[in-house]
Amino acid sequence: MAGISSDVIRGYNDTMILYILLENPSYGYEISKTIRQMTDQKYLIKETTLYSAFSRMEKNGYIQSFIAQPDANGNGKKRTYYQITELGRQYYEEKCEEWFLTKEVVENFIQKGART
Amino acid sequence: MNTLKSYLESMFAKLPNTREVLRAKDELWQMMEDKYMELIAEGKNENEAVGTIISEFGNLEELSGVLGLEKAFSYQPSEDDTAGDAGIYDRQPLPFEEAKQYVDELIRQGFFVSIGVMLCIFSVIWPILSETFNWSQAFGVTGMMLFIAAAVFLFVYSGIMMGKWDYIKNGNYMIDFDTAKVMQNEQSRFRKDYAVRLTIGIVLCVLCWLPSMVISETALGRIDQFENMGAVFLFIIVGIGVMMIVYSSMTMEAYKRILKINDSRLVSGNYVNNQGKERYINSTVETIMSLYWPTITSAYLIWSFLTFDWHLTWIIWPIAGIISGVIKANLTVKE
Repeated sequence: MAGISSDVIRGYNDTMILYILLENPSYGYEISKTIRQMTDQKYLIKETTLYSAFSRMEKNGYIQSFIAQPDANGNGKKRTYYQITELGRQYYEEKCEEWFLTKEVVENFIQKGART
Repeated sequence: MNTLKSYLESMFAKLPNTREVLRAKDELWQMMEDKYMELIAEGKNENEAVGTIISEFGNLEELSGVLGLEKAFSYQPSEDDTAGDAGIYDRQPLPFEEAKQYVDELIRQGFFVSIGVMLCIFSVIWPILSETFNWSQAFGVTGMMLFIAAAVFLFVYSGIMMGKWDYIKNGNYMIDFDTAKVMQNEQSRFRKDYAVRLTIGIVLCVLCWLPSMVISETALGRIDQFENMGAVFLFIIVGIGVMMIVYSSMTMEAYKRILKINDSRLVSGNYVNNQGKERYINSTVETIMSLYWPTITSAYLIWSFLTFDWHLTWIIWPIAGIISGVIKANLTVKE
């Protein structure tokens, strides 16, 4: 199987991250692990890609970060968590709409095994 | 895990020391750490885990936009570039071996200089001896001149030997994370030695008048030739004391010099300051304070020899100690 072209998927990194944050706040490694598991190991997001997405979306107000300290029992470690904002939810909806449209448009030109 | 830390540090070494950059580094480190723990828990060995993480890390240039670092990444050294901000991205790495040799050389030359200082102090013993034992005056003068000449030779020699390292001072060099850690460990190992040697040196200077007092207060003082021997002992003790102060200070300075080589405006400038250690608020204060104990020693000796009030002049030491404490309390910041 050919790998995913990073050019194509780049526009949807935000969508994936925001989807994961819809339910609960989460942190870097957990998000990258979830993406890997949900895509059945087909898509592996690089650390630098992930961080640049965090940083950009935080600037745009789609997500907010907070620092979680280890709890009283000393479990866990100091981590930066991200949570989605109202603006982020709107943006996620828009991205979903955009995807449906994109898929509909591109689908018209997709035919497997057409090359003869 | 150390490999990962070094890898991350080397990626960030030449980036400017801004809050955004440090935050990016911190968060990337969190992710790497989490991933490492998980891979190890899955039964991977350390090498496999490190290899996987580095191969999946990505490219820092991807962050140039969000960190506002287009300039740092696209910087190309050019002929007409006159220092300026761009110059800081142009630093050459100093290999570990070379950094180590440089420090060793600084320490060795520090030893020669301290011996030279000691010989200068010892030189005045010769005229005293020749007077005491009624040797010819020429003998005393010759002895003194020989010692001074030897001292001058040592000063000149160490100056010439250090000359070949000038390029490190003048050029734009930086040390990597591992080198900084090794040097810092050596420095902390030396710290205890430093305290002991400095203390012994100071105590010797403070107590240098003791033999001459013992001689003059006891029966020994009634023997003519012993009268002057007090002064001889005094110079010998002061010479050894000053030698210990100078040598230990210069050794400490050698470590400081290599550890300060990185530009503090870059991330690599943080290698040595992030361990909760105390640091003077700025480099001017730091330079002045590195001369503090040598200056106090000189002041003590000058005052003592001008007045011969040895019973009073020792007061300089406790006062200097208290002042040093006050300065440390007010002009240092904890990292």
